[in-house]
Order: sequence, then C-alpha cells, then structure tokens
Amino acid sequence: MKESFENCIRCTICVENCPVFKVNPEYPGPKQAGPDAERFRLDGIETVDKWITHCTQCKRCDFACPYGVDPSKLILKAQIRYVSKHRKSLPQLLFSNFHYIARLGSLFSVITNFITSLGMMRKLFKLIGLRNDIPFPEFRFKTLQRFRKKSIRSPNPVDHIKINKPKERKAAFFHGCYLNSNAPDEGRMIIAILEHFGIKVAVPDQVCCGLPALGNGDLVKAQGFANKNSKEFAKFIDEGWDILYSCTSCGHTLIYDYPEILGTDEGELISKNTWNLYEYLLLLKDEGQINFNFKPLKKVISYHIPCHLRGRGVPYPAVKIFKEIPNLNLHIQDINCCGFSGSYGFKEKNKETTDALGQIAVESLEDHNPDIIISDCGACRMQISNFTKTRIIDPIQIMYDALGL
Amino acid sequence: MKYDIAVIGSGMSGLMASIYLAEKGLNIAVVSKGDPICSVSSGCIDIAGTGEKTMESIDIFPLEHPYNKIGEKGITDSLQYFLDLMKEQGFNYLGDIGKNRNILTPIGKYRTTSLVPFTMEHADIEPGESFHIISFKDIKDFFPSYITGIFSNTGVSVFDAGTYTTMGIAAKMDNEDFLESFSKWIKLQNIEQKKIGIPAILGITKTRKIINYLETETGKIFFEIPTLPPSIPGLRLYRNIKSIAEKKGVSFYNTADITDFKKENDTIINITIKKPGRPDYVNADAFILATGSFVSGGLFLDKNIFKETVFNLPVYSPVDKELFNMDFFKLGHPLEKSGILIDENFKVLKSGYNNLFIAGSILAHSETMKYQCGHGMAIATGIAAAKHAEEHIK
Repeated sequence: MKESFENCIRCTICVENCPVFKVNPEYPGPKQAGPDAERFRLDGIETVDKWITHCTQCKRCDFACPYGVDPSKLILKAQIRYVSKHRKSLPQLLFSNFHYIARLGSLFSVITNFITSLGMMRKLFKLIGLRNDIPFPEFRFKTLQRFRKKSIRSPNPVDHIKINKPKERKAAFFHGCYLNSNAPDEGRMIIAILEHFGIKVAVPDQVCCGLPALGNGDLVKAQGFANKNSKEFAKFIDEGWDILYSCTSCGHTLIYDYPEILGTDEGELISKNTWNLYEYLLLLKDEGQINFNFKPLKKVISYHIPCHLRGRGVPYPAVKIFKEIPNLNLHIQDINCCGFSGSYGFKEKNKETTDALGQIAVESLEDHNPDIIISDCGACRMQISNFTKTRIIDPIQIMYDALGL
Repeated sequence: MKYDIAVIGSGMSGLMASIYLAEKGLNIAVVSKGDPICSVSSGCIDIAGTGEKTMESIDIFPLEHPYNKIGEKGITDSLQYFLDLMKEQGFNYLGDIGKNRNILTPIGKYRTTSLVPFTMEHADIEPGESFHIISFKDIKDFFPSYITGIFSNTGVSVFDAGTYTTMGIAAKMDNEDFLESFSKWIKLQNIEQKKIGIPAILGITKTRKIINYLETETGKIFFEIPTLPPSIPGLRLYRNIKSIAEKKGVSFYNTADITDFKKENDTIINITIKKPGRPDYVNADAFILATGSFVSGGLFLDKNIFKETVFNLPVYSPVDKELFNMDFFKLGHPLEKSGILIDENFKVLKSGYNNLFIAGSILAHSETMKYQCGHGMAIATGIAAAKHAEEHIK
C-alpha cells in the first residue's frame, strides 16, 4: 500500500471514477467499500458483505486518488476474506483454475469448442451461474507454447552464447493464458515484430499469472502460480533478459502484485525488469537502436485503453508509436471501463453491470465512426465485440501491417 | 523521457498551462498524483469577489495577491482563452468576465460566481420568481424543501430513476431510452412554470444533447443546480479540459508519486516518479509547479512546520503556534495566506530555481476562499506561469 488509508479525506474522487458505482445501485462505491469500511474491519467488526464482490478490480479508484490511498487493494483483501468465509461458487472455482482449463481446452480444442457451443452445455452454464448469452472464448490447438516448440526456453541456449553481442537485447515473453490458448496468432505477430527489430525472443515455461485466482478470492492458488513464474523468469533476468508482456492485466499483476500482495521472493526483481511490449520498443527507439519506418495506413481507429494499461500511469506507449504511422487517425477512449474484467463478466450475477458498462464504452468508441477498434486486452476485446459490428483487434495487428511484415 | 516543459499537477492551472504551451508547438508533460479537486467542484468559474463587477473587486485585493502580478488585461485574456477553448470543445461556458452572477444552490441560497457551464445559463433566478423543481426519489443530499422554503411559489415533482446517486442518475441520462421515458414523464406532470431546476445530473458525457432534447420535447427551459460531491459539473469541467490537453498532444503521467528530483546548480534537470517496478524520470528544460494548496497536497503542515511537497521550497506563512487557537473555520484565517512567494516572473522569490515557475492556489496570498477567485486565479496564473516558462526556454 502506497500510504495509509487514513489519508482519505472523503473527497469522492474515487467514486466519480468507479464504473460499477455508476451503474449498480447495490454497490456503495470505493470510498465506502475501501477506506470507510476498513475502519470497522480494523476493529474486528464484520462488515464484509456480499456486495464486496461487485468490485471488478479495475483499479480506477487507485489511479484517481490524489492522496495515495489504494481503495482497490483494501477491497481485494476484503473480497479474499469474504470468499474464504463462504463456500466458493462453481464459477469461482472454475476461473481460479483457468490456467488448467485453458491448457486442457487447447489440447482438446476441437471437443472443447464443440461442447461449449452445445445448447445443453449452455444450459448447464446458466445452472452453475455462468452466462450463456455470450460466446465462450474459443480455444486453439496450436498454442503459442506448442508452436514455439523449437524456441528458446532456457536463459542460456547453446547457440546463443556464440552470438552473444554486448548490446544485444534479449526478451523473455510472458504471454499469459489468453494469448497462449485463445489468441496465439497475435502472439506469433509479437514475436515476429520483436525478431524483426533484432531482439532475441525466448518463450519460457510459464503458468497463469495468478490474477484470475486472486480475483476469485483464492490467494493461495494465486501465490502458487506467482512463485512458479517468479522462479522461472528470475533465471532469465539473471542472464540479462528483459521480461515483456502484451496482456496488460498479466503485466499489472507481475509489476504490482508479485512484490506486494502475492509477495514472491523474486517479486521485486520481476517487477523491476518487466516491460510493456510497446514501452520497450519505445525505449529502444529513443536509444536509437531501432527505427520503425512505418508504411502509411489510411484508417480511422478507436483505441480502447484497458484499465490495467491506464494504471501504468505513463503516456500510452502504443499511442506514441502509432503517431508515427502516416495517415492513421487514432482516437483514444480511456474514460470508460468495458465492464468485463476477465472472469467477472462471465458470471450471471454481474450481467447487468457488465452489459451497462459495455454499452457505455462501445458508444464512446463508436463516436468517431472507426474502421477498426483496437485494445490490448483479450477480455476487453471479447466484451466490445458483443456490442458492435466494427472489427476489433489487438493493436499488434496494426503494427504488423504498418511494418509491412 | 525528455520534454520541453513538465507541468506538475493536473488541476485547472496545470492543465491550462499545458494547453497553452502545447498550442505553441512545445512537447509538454503533465505529471499528477491523482485527479484534481477541480473534478469535485461546482464546475463554475469564480473570478473575484461577490460584488457586481469582478475587476472592481480585484482593485481592492491586497497588493501581494497573485492577480496583481498579471494585471486586468492578462486576467481577462486568460479567461477569454478558457472560454474560447471550451467553445471549441463543444462544452460552452457562458458569462461576462467582467461581471458576477448569482446562481441557485441546493439550499435555496445564492452563490456568487462569474462563468458557468451552459447547463446553468438560466440558474440566476430572481428573488420571488416562480419555477419548478424536478428531484429524484431517494436522491442523496438534495432536499427541494430548502428551496421551496425560500421560493414559495415553486412546484416540485419527484421522478423515480431506479437509482439514487447523482453519478447513477447522470449515467442513466446518457442512455437514450431512459431519457425518452424521463421526458415523457415530465410532459405528464403538466408543469405550469417555464423554468425547471434540476440537480446537476443531466448526463456525464452527452449533456448538450440531453438538454437540447428535453427542451425541444417539453418546451421548457432547464437549469442545473450543483450538488455536493461527487459533483457532475466539476467532473465534466475536468474531463473536458483534460480532453482538450490530450487533443493538443500533451503527455500524461498519472498516479505519479514524485519522490526525488535532480538539479545542477539552480537548474532542475528531472523529477523521479516512484512506483512498483522501475521509477520513471521526466526530464524537461523548465518545470511548472501547480500542485495546489493544503487540500490538494501541494502544501503540507506538520506540527507547525510548513512543507512544499515536491521540491521542498520555502513556504511563506503568517501563522505561528496560535494556529488552532484561532477561530479555525472563520473566513480569512491566516493559514489561507500560506504558500510560495514569487517574483515578477513567477519564479520562487530569491532562493528559487531558475527554471521553475509556480501557478495556482499554491501561491502565497491567493486566499481563494476569502476572495472567491478559485478557478479564475488558477486559469490566470496558469497561463502567466506558462508564458514565463515559454520565455525562459526560448
């Protein structure tokens, strides 16, 4: 925690920024759920109630607070406590273990995708508290891990030692579950772009970042995932590799949660050496190591900024890069959360909140009549595609096209 | 990252400074810890005093007041610049820079201000005037009886919006179907009066469309009454100004906890933003400090020691150990005079840095409460500091 919650002066700036408060009258907002209720919690009074799970952990309250209070962290701890005192619901169990589901789902992708589309299965979804009116993400057999069988998996590859140049950049890619199992093509584009700029790319063995488990109140499971990743990636850092991520929620977890709430031994090291893909490319460009030389792209694009990218607090790196693409007309939408928040949006109980926020976000994205909508986050893209016919893609595809790869 | 000028603070003065400089083609960064107090304000622009004419009020301000470093023309030009920007943004502010107006508050009393958002164009109710109030079922902190107690020939209707927070109702107003049902309901009320006052919830983003729609459909004139925070007019003001800055190409560093800065002799080279992982460094040729006063975190008082929180600048204050013995809530408490003393170039007086400029309510002697000059002073000093910073880097 940056500073004590006692710094809260009840200005309600966090409330103004809370997407859930805006559309769900059952949720009292981050001020009350966070610092206000915390006073009672400190005295041991049980104020944790069911409404605490209405929070999506978008963290907009933390970014907005001018006094250094992090309401979302107080709320997360209360959520974990609430879940620990109640029986976990099936969706909570399911999404805590999303890592295994994604791995199995991809291995048996043909069957899984068939089953999840069946009417009977959709009924079962509803029965256990999952939404059946939105498509379940399709799993891909050719995952990033499976495709990269021959790729570098150790921090000291044999051939690597021979060609090791002093200033050579080496990037260990943290792809996360979605990019691996559901969107491996985008993962391949990222690797191709990095290699195009002469960066050596490794795809280390990795598990889920731990966020879905954390978000569903399973701290122990989340810590297990975090420990495993920390150990593996620390080996790479020790050999001079930088960690790169593209999924902004995985990235936020690695940088903010590994050293804090998940508290892994290597958390600080991981946090210091983890880079957003575009931030990294921008750094190399500023150091004069690479040049983009983009081809013109005559398109109107609306860019939906995922909450967890906004939380980095730096000028949006992809926006800075895309400004160099001739003829590109880029509009930024960072005021509204899409309301999906990973597993949150799949739960039947959150349907109204999720849908109301999705509609608001998509309306502002459509304001500029875009040819394409882009967003770094797979979950945001899934949500937005439920409300619009406009093509929605990962920004990496724009970069891939503009580089002429 | 290297910028021409870095502005610290994203309130009115910081954002206005950044917009002015970005329009000059400079590469500008705004660094802020969180959203500003501006976003919970009433959204109105106070310029000076409570008298009929703003500039006459300024004439009797003490000589040390920051306005006197700018002069009448500078103040008027800055505020006109603000009006022009908001017009271009499609979120008009109305009023005469030289005049004050009285607008209706939720407790039925008047509040003096100068420039108002277009939603409050008709909020200057005459004493005894007959109008109608629309309120909402279970809405927090808005009691029409305060108003009807003073304006006795006022009618009240209450709409059930299905939610009871100002944020919640405003978000619903942005939805076309909801707006349509609300408009139909108004028509069914058979309201006699032409003017309808409504708590400030007429949409978060589509306010212009909403008012146009309601006025066309019902044939009435609507005006908003600012509410307690969360304050939608304040939020709209902040988001529109920030949106203008973004469009002009300003780069934003948010959630920025500035823990250190580097200097060479009297020149500030960069500031360090600490965060989990790596810190960020913002380098610039000049810096504008617009972090606000005590409530915004620019100043900090710790056991009778006054601190400026970013560069540890010397803080002027007439307050001694008697601070809490005085009538603490009385207007014009000497604490309000506290702040940074500046020279004619908006640099810190005497012991200052040569590339640091100060703007907004962190300035000593600004006394924004006593002189009712909050946003006006923020805008005018923001532009003034920006001009001096621009001059400096040339």
